[in-house]
Order: sequence, then C-alpha cells, then structure tokens
Amino acid sequence: MSQAPKQKSTAQSNPLFALGKERLELIGKHADALMQGYLDGHINESAFSQQALQKLLDSRVLDYPDEQTLSLRPIVNELIASLTQDERKRQINSDVGEHLDQIHTRVQSLQAARQKGDYAATEHHLQLLTERVNDMTGQFGDAIESLWHRLNTEFGFVSSLDDKILEIELAQRQLRRILDGFGIINFDDLIQLAGSDGSLRKLLVSQLQARISEHSGSLLEVQKRLVLLMSRFRQQQDKALLINRMSAFLRQHPNFQVGDYPNRSQVPAVVNQAHGIHAQAFIALDRPQDSYALAELARAVPREPEQNAKSESQTQGFSVALQNLVATEQKQLAKDVEDFFIQVIESPEALSGVDYLAEKELPWEPEMWLFQIVAEYQGLPEQNKQSFMLEKDSAQKSRFNQLHIIRDVKVGMHLLGNFQAVG
Amino acid sequence: MIENGPLLERLLEGEYICSVTDEHSFHKLQNDELVDDLNHFLRPLNRRVAKNDDGSVYFLAYCDLTPNARQHLSHQFTSTVQSLLPMLEWMQLVQEALGRDGALSLGDTIKLQDFESKVVDNQSLIQRLAHLANDKVFKSTSDKPDMQIKQVFKRIKELGYLHQPHKDRLFYIVTGKVEQLIELVRFIKDEENLPIDDELPEQEVMF
Repeated sequence: MSQAPKQKSTAQSNPLFALGKERLELIGKHADALMQGYLDGHINESAFSQQALQKLLDSRVLDYPDEQTLSLRPIVNELIASLTQDERKRQINSDVGEHLDQIHTRVQSLQAARQKGDYAATEHHLQLLTERVNDMTGQFGDAIESLWHRLNTEFGFVSSLDDKILEIELAQRQLRRILDGFGIINFDDLIQLAGSDGSLRKLLVSQLQARISEHSGSLLEVQKRLVLLMSRFRQQQDKALLINRMSAFLRQHPNFQVGDYPNRSQVPAVVNQAHGIHAQAFIALDRPQDSYALAELARAVPREPEQNAKSESQTQGFSVALQNLVATEQKQLAKDVEDFFIQVIESPEALSGVDYLAEKELPWEPEMWLFQIVAEYQGLPEQNKQSFMLEKDSAQKSRFNQLHIIRDVKVGMHLLGNFQAVG
Repeated sequence: MIENGPLLERLLEGEYICSVTDEHSFHKLQNDELVDDLNHFLRPLNRRVAKNDDGSVYFLAYCDLTPNARQHLSHQFTSTVQSLLPMLEWMQLVQEALGRDGALSLGDTIKLQDFESKVVDNQSLIQRLAHLANDKVFKSTSDKPDMQIKQVFKRIKELGYLHQPHKDRLFYIVTGKVEQLIELVRFIKDEENLPIDDELPEQEVMF
C-alpha cells in the first residue's frame, strides 16, 4: 500500500487509464437507458442519438447479437447483476482451470525476467500474478456470496414453489462445480512452482490455502442449508397436494367412514389427545394465615345488587347514613307519640306527657318528646283536633322577652264533654 | 416445579403448546428432563406430555387407554373428522386467496384485511367462502363476506388452529395444531388406503 502514490502516477500515464475512465463515464451517462435495457432484455435504439449509439457500440457496451435486436453485451449484463445482487441474472463463473493455466504462465515469465535480472519486468509480472490469484479467489467469494444471498432470501426472486425448487437444484449444481474447482487446485504443484521464492510461496501456497479452506467451510454450510430448504419446500408442496386431494376425496365421498381408531387395541398416537381438566379451587378458612388475604379479597368483591344504593351513599358520603338513622329514630318517636294519644283516648282523664314518658321509660329527651306531642296535635285534621284538649304547662323564661318554656303538656279528650253537651 | 405450574395448568386444560402460542414454554418442553418431571406429576392423572411427529407442538395424551379415555377419544375424534373437510377447504381457500402455492404452515401470518380484499375481488372465492361459512362447524348466519370471514376465523381460533396475538387486531398466526391435523390426514390416507395417490406419478415429474 505504501506504493500507492507511485502506482497512481504510473497508472495515470498508462493510456488504458484514460480510455477505461471514459468508458465508465459513458456507462454512467446513459445509466437510465442502459438499466431500462437490462430489465427489458433489449435496448430501445431510439433512446440514443445516432452519435451516442455509435459510441456505445464502439465502446463495447452494446452490440447487435443479430441484426434486429440491440442489447447489452453479456459482460455488462453480468456487471450490473453482480453490482445489484440480481440473482435472476447473476452468473457463477468457476472455471478454475483457465486461472491455473494463466498462473503457471505468469510464474514462468516472472522467473525468466528474474534470471535476466530485469527488476522492473519482475515487479510487473508479480503484480499481474497477484491480481490473477485475487481474481480467482474473488470469483469463488462472489459465487459463495451469491449462494448465501439466494439462501437468505429463500429464493424470493421467484414466486412459485416449483421455481424455487428448480433454483435450489441449480444452486446445488453451481456449488458442486465450485467444489470441483477446488479439487483441481493442486497445492503440491503450486509448492513446486513457487520453489524457494518466499513471496511466491506466500501468494500461491499459504494465502491461497487459507482462502480456499475458508471458502470450503462456507460452502459446506451452504450445502447443508440448501438441503434443509429443499426439504422444507418439498414438504410444503407435499402438504398442499395432500390437502387438495383429501378434500377432493371427501367431497366425492360424503358418506366415507373413517376407522374407529380410538377403540382399537393399539390406539394410534395421532389420535391420543387427552381432554382438558379445569383445576378449580374454593375459599377455605381452615388456615389462619390465609384469613388476611381472604378478607382482602372479600372486601374487593363488588356488591352488585346494592350498586344503586352504594353509588348514592358514595356520592353523598356520611351524611346520608346519618340521615337514614335520624329518619328511623323519627319514625320511632312518632310511633311512641301515637301510642301516647291512643293511651289518652283510652284514659278517662287527661294525661301528662312528662309522666307518660317516665312511666314508659322511653328514651326520648323530654323537650323533644313534648315538641313531638304538640306537633302531632297541631298536625291532626281540624275535626279530630277538636276531640282533644291540650293544655300547656308553661312559664315565662324571663321578664325581658316573650319566651315561654313548656314544662309539660296535658292531653285529654274533649269528647266526653261534647257528648255531655249534646246529651 | 413451582415455576412450571402455569405451564402444567395450560397443558392440563387441553392447550397445545407450540412456538407460536407460547415460545418460552415450547422451548422448555424440548428439555427431556423437564418432560420426565412433568410426566411424573401427571401420572396419577393418567396423562403424559406428547408431541407430534416433527416435534412442532406439545400436548397431553392418555397413559392408559381406560374405557373413559377411549370414550373421550371417540368423541373428540368424531368431531375432528366432522370438521375435517371444512378445515381443509378453509386452508385451500386461504392458500389460494393469498396466492401461495405451499400449504398453510405453523407460523404463517394472515391479515384478515388482506384476505378479505382478495376474496371480495373474486366471485368464485366469494361463493366458496359463503359455502364454507354456512357449514355447521362455522355457523355463520350472515350473507356479507366480511362477517363470514370474521366468524370463520373466530371459530378456527376457538378450535386452536389460529393464534391472535392482539385481541383488537385482526391478525392471526397459524399454530402447530394445524401440523397435527395434517398428520392426522396423512394417517387416515395411509390407514384407509385412500386411492388419492393415483395422480402422483404424473405430479412426481414436477419435483
């Protein structure tokens, strides 16, 4: 690599440099039309001016394989396929014999130049030899990479299983050819050829051997995967066929009776599938350590039937509960007062509220009790009210206002008097 | 063993474990030692861990074929055979609608929307779908293809042949139980000497 700047300057003076650059640029300039031609399989002449067409023909990019059709030269096709990993068109070139022949010739030229002491020629031949060896191993590398690429995409560039299977067969043949190519490389020959020359030994023996064994390992893996993929594709095809034929058969024979496999002495494994068991468990209170967890669960259980009442009490909180309690008490108080009035009706003379309260040992506060009696009396329909007489025993609390405190009420029946009056 | 409780329970409930329904458990079950332990536990329940031919799905089978076990197997086998033709027709329908030339297999994904758009584009597929949806296995009462498709896939999911990774997304994956069904079909074909290999020589050329 340290030679790079020097190589560059000598390379640039090479007339090939200018020509090659010009032709690569020419391809770039017509990239659209050329790619269109690559995809269509033929080139549309009208896409180019007469001058440009002539240039492309002269540059060996295009040619007329027959008089009618204009197309990309095969080598250009291959270049594009290789650059784009287009597996439909990518070719695998594994002609090892040709390479080996050239290597032999190159080594002989190199040794001849060295004997003559021509240092520049020796250097030149060594460079060409290195390129040749790299070309060969690079070709193997490309071929293997192409195989991997096809494997990893599961031959996605063709759609039907039949085509995929054909492609796998093709790949297997290519793989075999590469392996055959490896077989042709005879390292004993190469060792002899390199002789005592250190750099040649390194190039032709140790480096090459390392590359080839690396490639071989890779190819073995490819081979394994190809076989697996092939069997998978075949299985899929086989299954599809089985499904089609079985369903056709069942349609044609609607009364087809399958054997009674479950009751054979030997039940086939494919039929032996146990039925499901649901393991249920229930709340058990026989272990004290569970009680806390169970209580938690119990609290978490939503109480659905009470949902309405619950949601109401949730929104209003504590006050409703209190109100409920008060309402219950209120009812009880009203009932006790009612009982008091019944007692009054039965009693021949007027009764004192306070006495009644003490006598019956009712829980009410005297004040509340008296108020309720008065309220009950006031609430009576006018006609009934006249049947009772209510006497308040009250006293003025203070001289400074009109407040009277009721100490007691006496309720008695007017009825008797009325009757007497009428009577 | 405690950590395998959920797996045991699922197996006992009659679930099929494959790489699609529960990848983690599926890998666990590939360990023979664990399967031995599970079998030891399952022995009093007259069950053992079984797998299909290619080991793509695990389930429980009976150890001893007691009269009870046989009675259950008969019942189950009958219902599988009754649903066999509709299942095969469904597989063909999906395969054709989605333009595949291989059979539906474990791990294949089906987007209901794709399937539907392919079916409604093709009068013959619409008819086949309607015929299939009317079968007593699927029991669709609708005459709209989209509803029929939903019902058919729902039923097949209930039967365990499809897995739906997201409850609210209409996207299904084929489970290993399908492979088990294909094995059953192959078994019936061989066992009953069904004359359905007749065309094979002609087809063999293709391979």
